[in-house]
Amino acid sequence: MGKGKPFLEVFASALHEDYRFPILEIFAFLYALGTFVFASFGPAMSPQAVSSEAIAYTLTTSLLGLPLFIFIILIFKNVAYGLGNDLEKGIIQTYFSYPLKRRGILTAKLLSALGIALIIFLAIQISALYVLAPDIVSPYLGTVLLTYAASLSFPFLIAGIMLLVTLALRRGGLALVIGIVLYFAMGIISSIVMFISYATDSPLALKIISVISPNTVLAQYYSYGPFGSELWTPTFSEVLLYIGASYVIVAFLFFLGYLYFSRRLGL
Amino acid sequence: MALIVAEGLAKSYGRVIAVDGLDLTLNEGSITGLIGPNGAGKTTTIKMILGLLKPDRGYVRVFGQDPWDNTDMRSLIGVVYEKAFFPSHQKTLDYLRRVCRVFGVPESRALEVLELVNLQEASDRPIKALSAGMLQKFAIAHALVHKPRLVIADEMTANLDPQARSALLDLILQLHKDENVTFLLSSHILPELSRVCDSVAIINQGKVWAYGKLTELYAKYAVGIIRISTDKPEALASKIRKLNYIEKLDIDLRGISIRVIEGKEEKLYEDAPKLAKKIKAKILGIETGSASLEELYRLAVGANKGR
Repeated sequence: MGKGKPFLEVFASALHEDYRFPILEIFAFLYALGTFVFASFGPAMSPQAVSSEAIAYTLTTSLLGLPLFIFIILIFKNVAYGLGNDLEKGIIQTYFSYPLKRRGILTAKLLSALGIALIIFLAIQISALYVLAPDIVSPYLGTVLLTYAASLSFPFLIAGIMLLVTLALRRGGLALVIGIVLYFAMGIISSIVMFISYATDSPLALKIISVISPNTVLAQYYSYGPFGSELWTPTFSEVLLYIGASYVIVAFLFFLGYLYFSRRLGL
Repeated sequence: MALIVAEGLAKSYGRVIAVDGLDLTLNEGSITGLIGPNGAGKTTTIKMILGLLKPDRGYVRVFGQDPWDNTDMRSLIGVVYEKAFFPSHQKTLDYLRRVCRVFGVPESRALEVLELVNLQEASDRPIKALSAGMLQKFAIAHALVHKPRLVIADEMTANLDPQARSALLDLILQLHKDENVTFLLSSHILPELSRVCDSVAIINQGKVWAYGKLTELYAKYAVGIIRISTDKPEALASKIRKLNYIEKLDIDLRGISIRVIEGKEEKLYEDAPKLAKKIKAKILGIETGSASLEELYRLAVGANKGR
């Protein structure tokens, strides 16, 4: 017997639980609502949007607001509640009686928790962009994807931390609280960092925060940071470097999660 | 052939020692009961055998392999956990069909195992809508889907009504007889184990205190046991207890179990009726060597105290 089938069945089972009626329907509706109804096009009209590439960036970020928040709620729920609940109640123990490696089980769970949520989010967002502004989006799809990569890095970072907390505690409640606190703390930290940068006239704090939240470096690149290009104008290579670094941190957290799940997790 | 070999197995949770140098060998074709008081280390032992926990010391081999993250081994083992949980929003038959696909067995097997445990009427119910007893039956069906060679069950009959318990014990005997399935059954309900098991391992304080075929254990620990059935067990027991050749005496629903110094069995046969006559008690029966598994358990634990 091949090894693909147990993986697909565990994945299908995880999907069934994570997106059971009416969760998928509600989130898809909220995505669509957030994308089409609550979008803010103010920045796109701003005189700062000097190039078509910058307009593509601002258009993408203007559609992100509420759907990104909904995406974060969905992945937090799936990681903390979905995986935590499975660990707490013993469903993972049941999966451990199937002929599938531990890493395969975790992959199936994470693919359902994060992968599917991401696909739904991106599909609705990119479709909306093509509907609203095909002339701008088509030539600058790379910019659009880069904007998403920069915006999604921090939610994935928190999801990685939540995964580790969930695995360590074998329950999701506290992990969910930690994730929410971290997410909102980041907003406060960003404001403090910007104040420090302004007060010291040094971009160092902005650079540090860009490693975990590369949205900052991208905003600076397109001159939408709080100080425009006065304080720091990163090059495109720097933008890629910061985004890459943020995903290395995310990958490291998930790697730790896999390592613990595969080699240490006792139930 | 030994299906399970554990040597010097040890596991601690912080300062609490759950299993402490446990040795166990389980042969193919046996039905072995794992008995012991709460906190004796039964569940931890089972979890190490299943590869859910890593031992701190010692090793365990199942089908000759390390059970940790071993996918080959899982197709050979059926597991019933003490607390069974499944993805709760899926329907029983649908989920078992999924499990059939996981193990690569025909999907028709799903209904077969539901019928085996008499749960076919709940085939269309979501798992979360099953009662505790039905969930236990479902867990048993789930463990048997892939026709395992070894079934490991922790408190398999918990939550089942007497009729279902009896049917399950019959099923165990049938699977053992027809398909030579090996069972490792952990339970507190010793009369049930005595009905199906040919061997028992008595675990206490994280160690195996006695292990072997029931007949061997009875010969070792239950020799010199005399059972007296009477209408006044308390009164007669208090008289018999004063005799100077009595080693151990217990009273239960079946009467009085007495262990005497070797060679004094005949003396008790003489003295017991006399004592009964004194207190006007009727002796309804007196027999030798019919210790129950509970008595065997108590005797084995008693003999090993102070180890």
